[in-house]
Amino acid sequence: MNVFRTVFTVMRKELRELARDRRTLALSLLLTPLLYPALILGMGYLTENRVRTQVDKTLEVPMLGAEHAPNLVKFLASNGIRQAAPPADLDAAIRAQDVDVALRIAPSFGEDWRNGRPALVEIIRDSTRRDAEIPTGRLQAALSAYSQQVAALRMYARGIDASVARPVNIGLQDLATPEAKQGMLLSVMLPYLLILTSFIGGVYLILDATAGERERQSLEPLLATPAPRGAVVSGKIAAACVIGLGTVLLTLLSLKVSSQFSTGVARQLDVSFLAMAKMLVVLLPMLFIGTSLLTYLAAAAKSMKEAQSHMTWLMLLPMIPTFALMANPLKSQPWQFAVPFLAQNQLLLKVIRNEYVSAQTWAIYVAAAFGVAALLWFAAVRRYQQEKLAVSG
Amino acid sequence: MIIANDLHKSFKTKTGTVTAVGGVSFTAQDGQITGLLGPNGAGKTTTMRMLYTLMTPDRGQVAVDGMDAARDPIAVRRALGVLPDARGVYKRLTARENIAYFGELHGLSRARIAERTKTLSDALDMGDILDRQTEGFSQGQRTKTAIARALVHDPRNVILDEPTNGLDVMTTRAMRGFLRQLRDEGRCVIFSSHIMQEVAALCDRIVVIAKGTVVAAGTADELRAQAGEDNLEDAFVKVIGSEEGLLA
Repeated sequence: MNVFRTVFTVMRKELRELARDRRTLALSLLLTPLLYPALILGMGYLTENRVRTQVDKTLEVPMLGAEHAPNLVKFLASNGIRQAAPPADLDAAIRAQDVDVALRIAPSFGEDWRNGRPALVEIIRDSTRRDAEIPTGRLQAALSAYSQQVAALRMYARGIDASVARPVNIGLQDLATPEAKQGMLLSVMLPYLLILTSFIGGVYLILDATAGERERQSLEPLLATPAPRGAVVSGKIAAACVIGLGTVLLTLLSLKVSSQFSTGVARQLDVSFLAMAKMLVVLLPMLFIGTSLLTYLAAAAKSMKEAQSHMTWLMLLPMIPTFALMANPLKSQPWQFAVPFLAQNQLLLKVIRNEYVSAQTWAIYVAAAFGVAALLWFAAVRRYQQEKLAVSG
Repeated sequence: MIIANDLHKSFKTKTGTVTAVGGVSFTAQDGQITGLLGPNGAGKTTTMRMLYTLMTPDRGQVAVDGMDAARDPIAVRRALGVLPDARGVYKRLTARENIAYFGELHGLSRARIAERTKTLSDALDMGDILDRQTEGFSQGQRTKTAIARALVHDPRNVILDEPTNGLDVMTTRAMRGFLRQLRDEGRCVIFSSHIMQEVAALCDRIVVIAKGTVVAAGTADELRAQAGEDNLEDAFVKVIGSEEGLLA
């Protein structure tokens, strides 16, 4: 009996069965391609909108003791920061997020000012609130500009060049490419979403074809045929990979289309066909790894319910490198491209940011990823050889 | 021809080791229907699973047409048509597609599958259900589909685990006719049942299994003589030593 013929027979049957189940097919093929662009573009739009309004809008800042420093208040007003009446309990208002940031001017401000001592102004804010970052930054920048301006004037009044007091001139040169800068937000979300899509793209089919088949009592007759079990499992895995591949392709395509329609940062994504092909190479082994792993797990599950319960931790798996990189950003090193999930994450980032990836890196990645996939496939096949597997219930 | 020689099988469970089969031997000849009769839980299904190589015996051998099941399970599976205890059909496929799938797994050509489907559909009277999806099939229609699927490769030996389970009277009668037809074609047919009348009506030879061992074997007449009872049911109760499991 030809092994490849069996693989093909099983694959075709599983796909045909799924094709008859229109709703499941539509869900597994179309859900992610429709959801992710909406998510990404929507998120991008919201962020941009927030930044734009917070940067351009006149900022209303409650000021305690504004009467002690009328000139400062005037200066701030000319910089788009207007005085607002402070609430009765300022600390409570900040905690309740009614006020983003507030300014407290010390009663001794006028006296200190006149005597040439540093006069105290305090910025009051909650540092854990991301929404307060931009208003705080604006306030800080305005205050330090005022401080420098007055300092320079005082020195001129004493006949000194103001630059004497600035022995070091600090300049900042950002070497991030404009493309990389603009992909920042997406760089966190997009790799995770793409990896997740490929990792569990074939999940509906494979759970149904393994644990489901067992639960519906059709596995025992199947395994009583002379078809080699390795070929039967491989056929099921192949069918799930076909569906997964379809999902990934549609997702990439929808990403391409939606990024061309969007106005924000998503527009800066590299969605050329070459980049798409590279992403596909990165995601393809993930598809095999995910499907083989699910087959291995589902084959041992006593019921569909048990098999589905694995999904909870499997969904979190691709998130680990994203979190790890957030907490502890790594420099690119060869070994990273051999670690599943981390490798995909790093490579996708490089592709999205249009960075150069060496041939050696690609070689390490492909060898390691397909190696892991082959290992899991072998484990799944081995599990199908077990005696207890065939006996349902 | 199927020969079971001193089969043993135990399972480990949480509470200890359970011996499901503890020494079953019998021979099923070609052109005969051999019935495995025994109460529920006697070890019939486990014995049959060893016959069709789904389980490896802890001890003992199975030979099908002279081939050792342990040494060449693939060849043995090819020589067997099996209706297991679990007989789920694929609900989204039609009966014809269910049959064709197994034909392809047996490596049959398209033409051969079509020809066998026609033969089996005529024999089992499934003409009107052949091209319907099996979702919503009655128990009898499902069993027919499963049997046709099991016999698509025209095997010399047929093993059926409780084939009339859950079928109505008319379907049961038709099924009996079909089993006789298989016998008359010179095949070796083994089927298991816990229903006395059925075994008495059909079988050329009866193997009575209780608590994992063969307690009696022979024709219906031989069994009656062996137990010294005129009534087969009484003889059955006598040889298995209890009425437990009979009232199913």
